[in-house]
Amino acid sequence: MQKPYSLRTSYLESNEVFRRPYQKVLLALLLGFALLLPALASTYFVHLLDLCLLSSIGALGLMLLTGYCGQISLGHAAFLAVGAYSTVILNAHLGAAFVIVLPAAAVFGGLLGLIVGLPSLRFRGVYLAISTLAMHYAIIFLATKYQAEFGASATAGMTIPDPSFGLFVLSGDRPWYYFLLAVVSLTTIGCINLVRTRPGRAWMAIRDRDIAAQALGVNLARYKLLAFVTSSMLTSVSGSLLAYFTNVVTVEKYTLDLAIVYLAMIIVGGMGSILGALLGAFFITLLPFAIDALFGYLPRTWRFGSTLFGVQAGAVGICIIVFLLFEPKGLAEIWNRLQTYFERWPFRYRPLDTVRR
Amino acid sequence: MEVAATVVILTCTYALLAAGVVILYKAARVVNFAHGELAIVGGYVFYSASLGGESLWLAVVGAICFSVIMGVMIYMSMLRRLLGEPLHVAILVTIGIGIVLKSAILVIWRAERLTIDIGVAPAIRFAGGASLSYMDVASIAVTVLFFVALYFFLTFTRIGVQFRGTAENALLASQRGVNVNFVLSLAWVMAVFAASLSGTFFGSRAFLSTESVTIGLAGLVAALVGGLDSLRGAIMGALIVAGAQYLTVRLVDPVLSETVPFLLLLVVMSVRPWGLFGTLEELDRV
Repeated sequence: MQKPYSLRTSYLESNEVFRRPYQKVLLALLLGFALLLPALASTYFVHLLDLCLLSSIGALGLMLLTGYCGQISLGHAAFLAVGAYSTVILNAHLGAAFVIVLPAAAVFGGLLGLIVGLPSLRFRGVYLAISTLAMHYAIIFLATKYQAEFGASATAGMTIPDPSFGLFVLSGDRPWYYFLLAVVSLTTIGCINLVRTRPGRAWMAIRDRDIAAQALGVNLARYKLLAFVTSSMLTSVSGSLLAYFTNVVTVEKYTLDLAIVYLAMIIVGGMGSILGALLGAFFITLLPFAIDALFGYLPRTWRFGSTLFGVQAGAVGICIIVFLLFEPKGLAEIWNRLQTYFERWPFRYRPLDTVRR
Repeated sequence: MEVAATVVILTCTYALLAAGVVILYKAARVVNFAHGELAIVGGYVFYSASLGGESLWLAVVGAICFSVIMGVMIYMSMLRRLLGEPLHVAILVTIGIGIVLKSAILVIWRAERLTIDIGVAPAIRFAGGASLSYMDVASIAVTVLFFVALYFFLTFTRIGVQFRGTAENALLASQRGVNVNFVLSLAWVMAVFAASLSGTFFGSRAFLSTESVTIGLAGLVAALVGGLDSLRGAIMGALIVAGAQYLTVRLVDPVLSETVPFLLLLVVMSVRPWGLFGTLEELDRV
């Protein structure tokens, strides 16, 4: 009998991207479907997918930092804000083009990530989470000040024109969809290769036990800062793209709640899994819209604005609690179990760590 | 005089919050990120149980019921399962609890912005126009009473000793016959009760709304500034945070009010990361 794919017998196997032979076929089918989708789906649905793809980039960034390197960050919304505000500043004051703004946003994000990452050299766990929270408030304060100074009014925010490559202007949900699909695919490939190679292995060693990692020769300071810089660069790019996509930047959007929503994505998706980051981003982004659609079936007297907002927000919280308590490895693990189930059928296979003690 | 009165009241609010954070950290090694939400929901419950300001006694009974139910429920249904897990899992769960509580404000109270108006008539007038209402006097008295009672409870009663034993080493305590689940549930009940008192006082002086849950973060910062494992530190930390916040809002910039506690925290963390009265060994550092 063939051994289960979930078991690894050599170090080389842990580096394989496609563990199961049919995964290549599945991926090809998925990509083909994704390319055809805008022709089949409504504009509203494509818009939703755009939002999912946008949050995927940020979720991948947070996954590298929290899921792989084990550093909890509550400052994720601030990095999105950094991306958005560097876009605004470069656009409004310098009139810089899209191809310059995006790398510049990444550089700003990276620099700030370096600063926010510095406390991680001394603290871990709670203290680190709170120091990132402190950074969040400091950055948001600066953004508020900037908006009050240069915005149309203190609350109106700033507008950004559609991005353009030479004569071609990127606007409309369908062109954006193809553009974002390309960006997310490239980011995903980059992240997969990052976590398979030296940095990723160093991060996982730090996550599992930092002292042991250092004893094995991992340079803690260097790899922790690398995790912060990579994560914040990705997030900043995501924030910049989001600003271009929505054409407007207001500081009210970048709340602590947004940072928690991103944490929810990687928890629901499954800590320490690139696939999990993507699944979680899609799940959490679509959740409020699904609830909105479900509310349409309720009797009219039940539909209050605040009730809908409350249920939408509360569902994220419930997802966090339920997944942490009952499915700590998230949707990625459910997918994994599903595959194992069909491979082993009609036999059953239970990994040791899920057998009830 | 008015400055002093305002700062003292704000200190009481934060000290009660910080005390809850410290109790939970000491007993259960959990840093509660849902403390502000518990406080504000507690304030809403107090308001609703008072039937819109009619009955003070009903309101107090309501607040006590709320803390017992919430505390036992949170501990028994969620955090008990996480006892052996890494610390950050519990933090993330409390963040989830916070979101659910905040959305409960939206669903149950329709995000109504309200002020608790029991005993807001001025009781003591000072020269220069400042005055303290009955509720303000009550909040100072209750805070002092709470800390004194907590001190006697932890030092002299049997459960208090078990409490300290559990805080020191839960496994050892359970082997010596301490009912750890009871003690930790009690810790949660006490923390939620302190939080809802604080939310009530805050709601009587300012207002309750979904935005006011940020007082939880100020309370958390107060606990960290004083030292996460020190009840004495909670009072000092609260005084420092409240003073700094009041002065910045008055003299520098009102927009800073949410940022100030964290700027203060950054300073404390770079100079004395274990807090003013905390112990160095408690610090989770690299």
